[in-house]
Amino acid sequence: MSIESAQMTHAGGIAGHIHPEPQGFVRRYVFSIDHKIIGIQYIITAFVFFMLSGLLAETIRTQLLNANGGFVSPETYNEVYSVHGSAMVWLVVIPLLTGGFGNLIFPLQIGARDVAFPWLNMLSFWIFPVAGLMLFSSFLMGAPTAGWTEYPPVSLQGSAGTSMWAAAIFLVGVSSTLTGINFVVTLVKMRAPGMTFTRMPLFCWGQFATAPLLMIATTALAAALAALFMERVFGVPFYDPTKGGSPVLWQHMFWFYSHPAVYIMILPAFGIISEVLPTFARKPIFGYKLIAFSSMAIALAGFMVWAHHMFTSGLAPYLQLPFMILTFAIGIPTGIKIFSWTATLWGGKIHLTSAMLFAIGFIALFTCGGITGIFLAAVPYDLDVHGTYFVVAHFHYVLVGGSLMGVFAGMYYWFPKMSGRLLNETLGKIHFWLFFIGFNGTFLPMHWLGIEGMPRWVATYDPQFEFWNRFASVSSYVMGIGILVFFVNVLWSIRAGKKSGPNPWNGRTLEWMIPSPPHYYNFKNIPTVYGLPYDFSHPLPYTGLEEELTDAPPALAAGAH
Amino acid sequence: MAVASIAHGSAHGDGADQLYVETRELRLQGFLLFLVSDCVLFSSFIFAYLYLRNSGQGWPPPGIKRLDVAFAAWNSVLLFGSGATMHYALENWKHGNFMKYMWMLIFTIILGAGFLGGQAYEYTHLIVAEHVSWWGSGIFGASFFTLTGMHGFHVFVGVCYLTVLLLQSAAGVYTGQKYFGITAGTLYWHFVDVIWVVLFSIFYLI
Repeated sequence: MSIESAQMTHAGGIAGHIHPEPQGFVRRYVFSIDHKIIGIQYIITAFVFFMLSGLLAETIRTQLLNANGGFVSPETYNEVYSVHGSAMVWLVVIPLLTGGFGNLIFPLQIGARDVAFPWLNMLSFWIFPVAGLMLFSSFLMGAPTAGWTEYPPVSLQGSAGTSMWAAAIFLVGVSSTLTGINFVVTLVKMRAPGMTFTRMPLFCWGQFATAPLLMIATTALAAALAALFMERVFGVPFYDPTKGGSPVLWQHMFWFYSHPAVYIMILPAFGIISEVLPTFARKPIFGYKLIAFSSMAIALAGFMVWAHHMFTSGLAPYLQLPFMILTFAIGIPTGIKIFSWTATLWGGKIHLTSAMLFAIGFIALFTCGGITGIFLAAVPYDLDVHGTYFVVAHFHYVLVGGSLMGVFAGMYYWFPKMSGRLLNETLGKIHFWLFFIGFNGTFLPMHWLGIEGMPRWVATYDPQFEFWNRFASVSSYVMGIGILVFFVNVLWSIRAGKKSGPNPWNGRTLEWMIPSPPHYYNFKNIPTVYGLPYDFSHPLPYTGLEEELTDAPPALAAGAH
Repeated sequence: MAVASIAHGSAHGDGADQLYVETRELRLQGFLLFLVSDCVLFSSFIFAYLYLRNSGQGWPPPGIKRLDVAFAAWNSVLLFGSGATMHYALENWKHGNFMKYMWMLIFTIILGAGFLGGQAYEYTHLIVAEHVSWWGSGIFGASFFTLTGMHGFHVFVGVCYLTVLLLQSAAGVYTGQKYFGITAGTLYWHFVDVIWVVLFSIFYLI
């Protein structure tokens, strides 16, 4: 009875409220307020920026084929790696994992009709491509040259494009902040009856840990960027030491955002992996609560470790030690997750689909990146390898081997839910192996290049490093071909892929209970939830879903108030 | 079950009212989170100011006079007073005293505009008489004008918002339980007040 009355109280409210279906191409697919369409818009836009940034990456590797460079001028090289890094972080990985998969999947998983503020969601999305175009257009006026971190004083002296960069990243930040607010409210207020926090799928927990970071950390970056912009455009001194400012201030403000930002880029990927592994191991996730709460622990601890990026910036020794120890401590919740995922695989009936391959590849590569992260957190070791290719190797293992592998796992897993068609599995496996081998060939040698002392951010280098650089460059082309295979797969499968039906993977979370692609109102009736989705072999823990796959109209007439 | 739904109905009226009530909860939470992120924006600049201030050359930096506490204190009284009148505006609305609500709202707008006038006078005095400027006075001018300017901009937005609220109230946009706009305006106004308490302390008192 309590459940029935819970449904009664929802009948007249948001859950019972279905807007009339939008008509016309523009309202449906361009200025849409449907979270699923907005998610797909994010994914398409981010993959366009991914192709552009990927071309920049191949430009970097082509330049480094020879010790003397020669492919592009050193100045252009600086612009190329600066825009590559900025675009990959702010225009590719963060939008894919939060605005993209976040929008697309988690409202379905919690049984909501949409996010809390659909119009705000549309605004968040439309700021993003504008900011992206601004960032890339900075090439026209001289792109930023101080790397994605844009440390002053170099960034104060950079060409006009640096101001454009600051404005673009500021706008992306506004978009992220609005998305964060939207997601927190949706997750707190709009879960289906019976879906307590500890019954939420782990992808939702990933978003729930990420959204406050988007909301809080991004605003700190906005302040740093606004100050940089004011200093460059109006000459207001914050960072220029000749006028009393401090370049180290930028580093503090930047990393106070950007360290949480690395968790923005990984926590949703953790969520994707936690959905893919149990589905294809046909086994309940091991340590549900530990995975959920360790995400929150990582999000919280992420605010207390920013200065470990600044061990070489003259940080007082009594500050170095606590930052080092706290950074080591983040290894604990992360280790809990890795352990839980491998324990989920243990004794499971493993189906090696493309999504599963990427998920297992994620565990392997992310663990490598995590371990070098512990290396770098140790002050003495960091003093040695700071500013070398070891750092480049580390963050590519966590960002490409971690976040991007998570994105690909999510693409193979949820593509049927977006389009109603499966991605081709053969092409998917070719994509995986080319990408996996190419990735390791590119970034594994960078560890020893860095230990031997090859610095980052240089267009030419000592000839003794030439062999492994050539090896890395050739491997990066293999990785690039793998990504082309993926794009071919997507474009081909949208038209000619196998029809998936509502639930091709026998998934148990709520998004698989409704047609693919879902109706614009998601659920005909909001279901009631009785337990965790991961208890394979038990009956599904939902009621109220009987009509979802039939031709029956939604229980409430469209537009009914 | 029937009892539950009847009790529910009497609390919130029909479905449209319930939709409003649930939507209001969402908006309220969203608005509070917006204020949290706005608070982080101020905090970051305050951190920057304190960091630069303690970077070693003494404060105020050589060649710059201390800020005039007395004038700013009187000006602050205007802003804190407007916080009180805004509080009573909302309370009067909740108790159905429409005219008192309108008057309190008008007082709030006048006091807020007065604060902005005081700030404009202070800026003019600093720039003209003491030759302190945003870009030409090192980190003192940069941090003072950026932070107080940001706050002043927030007050300006607040005054505009409250004016719109006044016109909407006069036109009868808000009725009975449907007054989220007034709640949001009050929260925002108190937020701006609290930020000023911090800014006043760190710029004028210490």
